[in-house]
Amino acid sequence: MVQEKRILYEHLDVPGINTFDVFRQHDGYARFEKAIAEYQPDDIAKMVMDSGLKGRGGAGFSTGLKWSFVPKDIKPCYLCCNADESEPGTFSNRYVLEKNPHLLIEGILICCYAMGIETTYVYIRGEFTLGKKMLDAAIKEAYAKGYLGKNIRGTGLNVDIYTHPGAGAYICGEETGLIESLEGKRGQPRNKPPFPAVEGVFRKPTVVQNVETLCNLPFIVGEGVEWYTQMGPTYGDTRFDPPKPDPNTGTKLYCISGDVNKPGVYELELGLTCAELVEVAGGVRGQEVKAVIPGGSSAPILTRYELDTRLDFTSLTLAKSMLGSGGIIVMNETRNIVDCLLNIMKFYAHESCGQCTPCRWGTPWVRDIVQRIADGNGRKSTITRPRFGIAENGRWGDTGETEEIYEDLDLLESVANNIANVDTMTWNTICVFGIAVSWPAVSYLRKFRPEFEATIREGQLTTLSVEAATVPPEENYAYQQRIVPRELE
Amino acid sequence: MAFIKLNELEVEVEDGTNVVEAARQHGIEVPHYCYHPGLSSPANCRMCLVEPHVFFPPAGAIVPDRQLATGCTTVLRTAPPDRKLDGKYDFIVYTDSPRVKKAREDILEFLLVHHPLDCPVCDQAGECDLQDFSYRHGHDKSRYLEVKNVPPKKDLGPDVLLYSTRCIVCTRCIRFCQEVSGSSELGLIHRGSHDEIDIPRAHDGMPLQLLDNKLAGNVVDICPVGALISKDFLFKSRPWFMKKESSVCAGCSVGCNITVEYKEDGVYRLKPRFHGEINQHWMCDDGRLGYHYVNSDDRLQLPMTRVEEELRPTHWADALTQVTEKLSEADAAEVVVIGSAQGTNEDNYVLQQFAHEVLKTEQLGLFGALPGEEHVFPQFTIEADKNPNTAGARQMLSNGAPVLEGEALWQKVSEASIVYLVNGAPGRPLESVEKAALESVDFLIVQDVLPSEVTALADVVLPGTTFVEKDGTFTNSKGWVQRVRKTVDAPGEARLDWEIVQQIAKQLGGEMGYHFAGEIAIAIAENVPGYADATHQNIGDSGVKLA
Ligand SMILES: Cc1cc2nc3c(=O)[nH]c(=O)nc-3n(C[C@H](O)[C@H](O)[C@H](O)COP(=O)(O)O)c2cc1C
Ligand code: SF4
Ligand code: SF4
Ligand code: SF4
Repeated sequence: MVQEKRILYEHLDVPGINTFDVFRQHDGYARFEKAIAEYQPDDIAKMVMDSGLKGRGGAGFSTGLKWSFVPKDIKPCYLCCNADESEPGTFSNRYVLEKNPHLLIEGILICCYAMGIETTYVYIRGEFTLGKKMLDAAIKEAYAKGYLGKNIRGTGLNVDIYTHPGAGAYICGEETGLIESLEGKRGQPRNKPPFPAVEGVFRKPTVVQNVETLCNLPFIVGEGVEWYTQMGPTYGDTRFDPPKPDPNTGTKLYCISGDVNKPGVYELELGLTCAELVEVAGGVRGQEVKAVIPGGSSAPILTRYELDTRLDFTSLTLAKSMLGSGGIIVMNETRNIVDCLLNIMKFYAHESCGQCTPCRWGTPWVRDIVQRIADGNGRKSTITRPRFGIAENGRWGDTGETEEIYEDLDLLESVANNIANVDTMTWNTICVFGIAVSWPAVSYLRKFRPEFEATIREGQLTTLSVEAATVPPEENYAYQQRIVPRELE
Repeated sequence: MAFIKLNELEVEVEDGTNVVEAARQHGIEVPHYCYHPGLSSPANCRMCLVEPHVFFPPAGAIVPDRQLATGCTTVLRTAPPDRKLDGKYDFIVYTDSPRVKKAREDILEFLLVHHPLDCPVCDQAGECDLQDFSYRHGHDKSRYLEVKNVPPKKDLGPDVLLYSTRCIVCTRCIRFCQEVSGSSELGLIHRGSHDEIDIPRAHDGMPLQLLDNKLAGNVVDICPVGALISKDFLFKSRPWFMKKESSVCAGCSVGCNITVEYKEDGVYRLKPRFHGEINQHWMCDDGRLGYHYVNSDDRLQLPMTRVEEELRPTHWADALTQVTEKLSEADAAEVVVIGSAQGTNEDNYVLQQFAHEVLKTEQLGLFGALPGEEHVFPQFTIEADKNPNTAGARQMLSNGAPVLEGEALWQKVSEASIVYLVNGAPGRPLESVEKAALESVDFLIVQDVLPSEVTALADVVLPGTTFVEKDGTFTNSKGWVQRVRKTVDAPGEARLDWEIVQQIAKQLGGEMGYHFAGEIAIAIAENVPGYADATHQNIGDSGVKLA
């Protein structure tokens, strides 16, 4: 049985951990003090690079590498903490904000020290009123105790933190959408390049980092890189010779919801399999697992045949899905995949920022097609291919071999791929919201095509048995193409 | 200069040029909607996708880049020697690869998903980028079966209507109001497929703000589809029925380059024409909508003479006989000739020649000053002098001697017995000094285009022509000499201003024999300092700056 490995969440349930004093009793700010006492800023940046920490917000981009892109000579430089957690199925940042806000502040302090940043904006999802309240209170306390503000603990370090509530748009979680929103404009992602690391808030270099990513920093500094890298697998990237280390180190706050007996956030080492995670969460509720969304609603779905996929950045990417935000949604045999896709597409059609053509008009179109299918109005036709032989009536003639054509399924796949192409991983959009739309659309359809076809045939939502609904592995594009990475010795 | 491989062409382009412009310079169309050379590039329409080719080290070869790039934001620059592609190219880009073509088709399909395609009743049809690019780059049929959005039609301001259904949300209009006019009246409301352009509506005690700035008409021009429509032009004509002629706006001393669009029965609209150093892509609404007097039913069509205290129409021979009789009797010292800052350089030059050579008077004035308000916008200035040719008229009339203007002029007028005044400024009010001076004149000859306060005082009125009815040149406040061109015919028996003057000169025995305005321009080039290069041929469509 896999054990939880609580690091970020270790003291989450300690009463009063949200206050400075209790947090302090549990090593709070000691790691920050260690950082400023024992290390130069560049040492910290190097430690983060060596730790292999990857961003927990969705893209899984190496944090150390991101920091290395920030020009050193342009000041001011900003830190934006992305606390806009709005990916459906994701709810781990929220507990940090509500229960242990000082941990985030400590992470921010370490990042600011390493990068020479004096101003931090925490962009908090508008609905997180409690989280914002708790963080604001903690910030106030930290100011009072001299851990924020000017000349922190006599070191000459200045750090200010401002919290900014979002106004309820999912796209403001995308880093440049967040920056625009923070600047007081419509939350519309920017064209990249330039990336925020070079030109972000107020056109100055900006480090955008998820809450969970920042909360990892105190432990990397406190316990050391060696300790940190022992958690989670490090794979070898075989495109290079010798294979290049591809670390998936540390723990992940997996948010598991849906048809499991004990839904919630579980902190586990990266790299356990999907099946193991379901077990950790008390096993499936109902008879069996039909499908699992591994990384928030944007991630391509996994079928029951793919549950042996390890839930880390590299394994999931090579399995044509993604770890994303770590929001895992389990579906049992009672779920109808068409209905699930409709649910998700309604969300995306509502949340497209509307800036660029394919996403603005493609996303609602995808939703409408799925809606039509779910309503029982999906189009299907039967075509007859002429083939000559002994026909039923015993005479020489057309044997009339027929084929079912599901026009709307082809249309659905084509429209989704025209927003962002799942096979070539190319998109015609400004931001990757486009691929977040076509990934679910195309993967649900391809992996559960029998259920879509049945729904069209029957003229109403039709739920098949898990066996019948799922495309077998030999016809599953992702299963066929997936690569299982090997750990480095 | 950057050395680029553009499709199969090898071309040189200036550093800093984007792919759309570089292709345009070499006759290749990269379709686009949101990009406009006069505005910032948000790259939101995704129509101008092109395929850069890059060096891919693992393969050791130049390969198509993984993602297509937007041509409007892909800027071409000289690469450092070690980064040249194929040893020589600074950039390799394809605008016609199969991937690019497919992307264009896909984008166009999306653009048409909610589009009403009401081309038969759409003003833009015929000059619509959506029509044109669909035809050239799009699919031939739609796969969209669902219900289309029908956002409301909106009245945005004095001259602009928004047919929201046709809007493709390119945001050009929004950016224009932010960047060029700086007035920011337009913005987006709602989100995603429900995006709509709107003006600030009254809310929370804030008033409604209309799209009512003096540059507002430009948003209609830059709207790539028929979403923003000029009320002035609405349902007036199909674009292909109108003829077009390059000209210059007569609304103020900026001298915006324009295209006059007209039919036989009059001028239909004015549109700005690009000039990099004068008006860029824009013009103001005063100029744009100020042409209506040209088509007016009140235009002077026949000469008039005063009979029993009343102006009565007559024929040219009669009017000109009266004029020549009076002039031949008069003493040169008692005659004042006044040119117009509304007239062309040619008109004023002929008038000056007439005054000096035929009437032998030195008393030449400029009636003109038509002061108005100056309006300064972040990227455009409307000048206070509402005459198009004050600078040119002054230079033409002076020919050595200073031109009488203002008080000095009215002083001379009040002492004169005969005054020959060319006006041409519609609706210019007379000040009391001016009026008193003109009333004191024994015989007042006025050449004008509309009944005015000046014609009301005249003894003889000669119908002249407006800037759209003649060829000639204007000199703007910065010394650019530019051409106006004849489009429509002058109404009734109205004649070219310089022709009238020349006719009078001939009847008085003068020797002037110009046949067309270009000849006068040659005379100007020979005689007026600074105008040596300003022949019509040289001026062409882009003007000549005075030396
Ligand atoms: C459509 C979209 C929504 C996103 N939403 C979030 C979000 O809610 N929270 C978050 O931390 N990152 C979100 N991201 C990822 C951010 O763009 C960015 O990668 C992340 O904040 C970087 O931080 P990290 O490197 O620490 O993960 C989103 C990305 C996209 C494309
Ligand atoms: S892809 Fe969608 S969300 Fe992203 S910028 Fe374009 S319209 Fe906005
Ligand atoms: S905007 Fe263009 S395509 Fe649309 S209705 Fe008008 S003319 Fe037709
Ligand atoms: S109204 Fe015209 S210019 Fe404005 S966004 Fe729509 S299509 Fe573009």
